[in-house]
Amino acid sequence: MTEHRLILVTGKGGVGKTTVAAAIARGAAASGKRVLAAEISYESPRDAEEGGASTTSPLATALGTTPLVDAPRRIDGTSLWAARLSPLAGHLQFLRDTLPIQLLGDAAMKSAAVRRFFVAAPTLAELGIVYRLLHLLKQERAAGAEWELVVCDLPATGHALALAQVPQTLVDILRAGPIHHAAQEGLDLLRDAKRTTTVLVTLPEPLPVSEAVELHDGLHRLQIDCGLVVLNRVPRNPFTPEERAAVERLVPDRMRMLGARRLPRIDRANAAHDRLARELSLPVRVVHEADVDVSAAVMNELGVVT
Amino acid sequence: MMERRDPNDWRPYVARLLERKRVVVCCGAGGVGKTTTAAALGLGAAMLGKKALVLTIDPARRLAEAIGSPENARSPVPASDTRLKAANISGSLATWMVDPGVVFEGMVRRLTTDQAQATAILQNRIYLALAQLVAGMQEYTAAEALYGFVESGEYDIVILDTPPSRNALDFLEAPRKLSLFLDERIIGVFLPGSGGGGMFRNRARQIAHGVFARIFGEGFFDEVQQFLAAFSGMFSSMRAHAESVRTLLKSDASSFVVVTSPEPAALAEAAHLERTLTNELILPFSGFILNRSWAYTRGLAAPSDIVVPSGASPIDHAALAKLEQLAAEELALAERDRRLLAHLRQKKGRPDCEAAATPQLDGDIDFAALRLIAESLIAPPPIEDALESQRG
Repeated sequence: MTEHRLILVTGKGGVGKTTVAAAIARGAAASGKRVLAAEISYESPRDAEEGGASTTSPLATALGTTPLVDAPRRIDGTSLWAARLSPLAGHLQFLRDTLPIQLLGDAAMKSAAVRRFFVAAPTLAELGIVYRLLHLLKQERAAGAEWELVVCDLPATGHALALAQVPQTLVDILRAGPIHHAAQEGLDLLRDAKRTTTVLVTLPEPLPVSEAVELHDGLHRLQIDCGLVVLNRVPRNPFTPEERAAVERLVPDRMRMLGARRLPRIDRANAAHDRLARELSLPVRVVHEADVDVSAAVMNELGVVT
Repeated sequence: MMERRDPNDWRPYVARLLERKRVVVCCGAGGVGKTTTAAALGLGAAMLGKKALVLTIDPARRLAEAIGSPENARSPVPASDTRLKAANISGSLATWMVDPGVVFEGMVRRLTTDQAQATAILQNRIYLALAQLVAGMQEYTAAEALYGFVESGEYDIVILDTPPSRNALDFLEAPRKLSLFLDERIIGVFLPGSGGGGMFRNRARQIAHGVFARIFGEGFFDEVQQFLAAFSGMFSSMRAHAESVRTLLKSDASSFVVVTSPEPAALAEAAHLERTLTNELILPFSGFILNRSWAYTRGLAAPSDIVVPSGASPIDHAALAKLEQLAAEELALAERDRRLLAHLRQKKGRPDCEAAATPQLDGDIDFAALRLIAESLIAPPPIEDALESQRG
């Protein structure tokens, strides 16, 4: 995984993708790599029109830094940068690269008609993001940024697939022209298993595991490599097999007892692990659930709402 | 905007919503159980005697099974009548997984008077690409479907499970986004002869034509023109429609609930959603639903209640000690969730803010589980004093 240039972290909503993406980025940076951690941000049309910053930035929170902006920002004392990938930045870049004079590109983005078209047309948001990603990966040598690895926290299952599906659709619809080329270049990057891989994050319950298997198949259909499955929030099992047998014997109806509700969760987690290992033939990394405590920060966050 | 509470009405807030509202929108981060909650709200409404419709976005196969309705339907499917009757439920419940293609096609057919025009739109390559792409269209069609069903008057209440986008409120922007896209100033640029001439307009059209032709290629620009020309008869009705959706959602007939799990990330998102709904979008926010909480412990035995048989082995004792440790952890979670619930209810300066909790259930959601969740929402068992009884 360390030889890849781009790691896409994906999975269904609420499985802890962002935490995993942040951990991968931090780990790679700690090993001496120059790493860019990126988060996809679909601004609302209003934000995009006003050029405003995103209001929430989960990756920034996970990395313990201030909300991310389009320009990569180095996190002090590390070889880790963080940025957001927004369609708008990609569109601007695209117009600059495509139109003969840079000024014309800027002028085109200033034109309400062009801008609104880019914001409103559904496919173009994803293409903007892919284009931005390509730009950042290419930028390395010229601009002296030289990121050896980009770790990208993808929004949710649908969007992870959409991100790859969109270049394909565009390549099919537009048979020539700059968008066709950009989309093709994006597809080539996403489909090059030497450069790009995905990390699939899921939870140890039957439904999320089924969804992970479906997502894996979807990526496979789009010819995108998947390198690792992270099974997140796995409940700890404190019992030896003998102790477990003793509990079963002493607590007949385990569902009605405090504490015993952990046991079926452990069983489902084991089943989830076995199923993933069996059906996906990929390495499965287990991450145990932390002692769940609502951090002071979150309580504060909620307090602010009041 | 905050709901004012009738001081004489002491029913749980979710029951009050289901009694009075025509639309309930479930918002929340991905993975918090929004779809399950929406289905439970629908079942709750049916338990209160209502004709309820749940619009889901997720292909929630198991949920469909739990209610007894098939997937891939072209219109809402009623829940199995025998199942509802057996459970003594007087109302009715229908569910539909919104199919963007079906909704959009329906809209095109409804808004065009001319069959040939409808066919021209539906066969246009750009239309096909747009309708097929999940991103964006799902949001728009959710709003469109919601409005259609409320207007039809076929149901007492429609519950909408919002799409799993990063920004759970995207669908509220969808009608606006579409009307932006359909803005006359854009259309005018694309369509020769529309919106009057004038030198300035023609010049703008030439520039835009130049830019788009360069970007998309000459052929694509022509296709966009054809698409928009075929569509142009529908624009004013679509804009009017988009406006009606906004009016409906802002009205007293609608209500927004924010669903969250006790996970810190979900709570942070819930706080953000509540702020956006109340302060920015000025929509009728009603309260929170703390889903999959550990708050309910009533009726659970404690490991210390186990009578250890004489002659128990050291392994037995070790096992029970570990079980007690797990029980202590679970009790800590219960306390945490009760604190959270109290916190969500007592927002400074918002005396009417409401919150309800649903229990942590084991394994898959079946009909019985859904009923339990619905009951915990419309007629919740007391939970606050349960902790004391556990300790006692």
